[in-house]
Amino acid sequence: MNFGQQLINGLVMGHAFALVAIGWTVLLGVARLVNFGHGQMYMLGAFVTWFAIATLGMPYLVAIPIAIVVGVLVGLLMQRIMLQATFEQNLVSIMIMTLGFGYVLHGAAALFFGSTGQILDTPLSSKEIAFGDLWLTWQDAAIIVVAIVEFIVLKLIIDRTRIGRLVRMVAEDPKLAELAGVNVRNVYLGVFAFEGAAVAFAGAMVGPRTPILTSMGFDEVIMTFVVVVLGGIGSVTGSYLAGIALGLFTAFFGAMVSPAYTTAAAFVVLIAVLVLRPGGLAAGAR
Amino acid sequence: MSDRSESFVLRASDLKVAYAGNTALSIEQIDVRRGEVLGVVGANGAGKSTLVNALAGWSRGAPRVSGQVMLDGVDLSAMPPHERARAGLLLVPEGKLVFGEMTVDENLSSLVGMSQDADRRFYDREAVFELFPRLSERRNHLGSQLSGGERQMLGIGRALMLGPRALMLDEPSIGLAPRLVSTVLQTMRTLASTGLAVLLVEQNVRAAIDVVDRLVLLERGRVVAQGPADAMRNDPRIAQAYLGASST
Repeated sequence: MNFGQQLINGLVMGHAFALVAIGWTVLLGVARLVNFGHGQMYMLGAFVTWFAIATLGMPYLVAIPIAIVVGVLVGLLMQRIMLQATFEQNLVSIMIMTLGFGYVLHGAAALFFGSTGQILDTPLSSKEIAFGDLWLTWQDAAIIVVAIVEFIVLKLIIDRTRIGRLVRMVAEDPKLAELAGVNVRNVYLGVFAFEGAAVAFAGAMVGPRTPILTSMGFDEVIMTFVVVVLGGIGSVTGSYLAGIALGLFTAFFGAMVSPAYTTAAAFVVLIAVLVLRPGGLAAGAR
Repeated sequence: MSDRSESFVLRASDLKVAYAGNTALSIEQIDVRRGEVLGVVGANGAGKSTLVNALAGWSRGAPRVSGQVMLDGVDLSAMPPHERARAGLLLVPEGKLVFGEMTVDENLSSLVGMSQDADRRFYDREAVFELFPRLSERRNHLGSQLSGGERQMLGIGRALMLGPRALMLDEPSIGLAPRLVSTVLQTMRTLASTGLAVLLVEQNVRAAIDVVDRLVLLERGRVVAQGPADAMRNDPRIAQAYLGASST
């Protein structure tokens, strides 16, 4: 095993996990909502980016914001439809509805984009950075940089700004927030729009690492779930750390044991953590 | 749109509240005037909280509310709670009334882009600290670390920052030491003297009767007696039930 290379692989994968999970972290922390259509929204983000580049001939930097806009629209539409269930905190309904949205997105994407695998080629994904026998692509490096920036910006917004305060008020007590003049409905819509934007952005950034298929999404939603729960529900810092931990674990477990069992092993770790530290690894941090 | 010639700031008419089909409150009319402290008293379950919650259009449960609520001539009846708050009808609820995971400073940060109506006073944080110096000493503490009295002050402070036309308090004295009770209630008196309309729900009639101008007695969701505080002090129902007087 090449330790240095696995370390790089793990860090890249970890930042990719964190980037994919960030929207759900806010969603679960703020609105106490789940979104089992998260994986398909990731798929859609990757495919919209691919379509804009491969078919419409747009540059990567233009394709990314287009994917984000589509993600926002899908997020807003879903939340608008689920608004009543959200106010009632009817989690079973929301779980089933979001799962259903996932399948609808999958079907619609298959109709529009076709069911064959595609390669989302970006100007960064084919260029390599090498140090001796260690290497990563510029796409990998970009994933690490944007994940770090996105987490820092999100943390600052939540801790320091008026919007962050509104979001924390609704997270703690939506009823009391109403008495403080907060339009809770708009906060829920905004949080879902962020979820859509963040996961579509992740699709545009992380999608180029592997062939993309309209049937993908399940692994992404499962890994997101592990990251968010491991990090301590709603904890931004915790999600980031959990993403890195999961990436490193996946890389080293894959290299030392077998890549075939990494998901199973990740869940063994998750269950152990939930039993020993019910608040997640970063319990106490926000 | 507003009619300033009316002497009342807050008026509710034909207010009815039902939980699961059972009527919890039925009130023909209740007014609070500018610069006045109106006390609403009654036993547990008399409908005091139900009344202020219905006025605010708010509840942690799921009641059915009907009737009309007017604030300074504006009909609030169809507004959701956050719009009523922005219009200047502020409720400091009973129980959980501050954000425990936020600091005092954060609890007192400007929240929403308010229309700065010229006839409303929007307190800033410094003005709240002037009113409650205790809060400024605790400004970096979390809401959950505050004592009951400090929470009450923080809840009132937050409401003042939202520019109240009418301020409603649900049992502010509950769980407070007697000296704090009179401080909090005296603050209501001070606020009313600046022209604010204050509706004070209290179980502690003895403390409330010293600061209110008028008193409304609720029983089983209905108004059974009302009048100026001095007259009500001698009302046998109030005197016997709440003030522990031998008879008069």
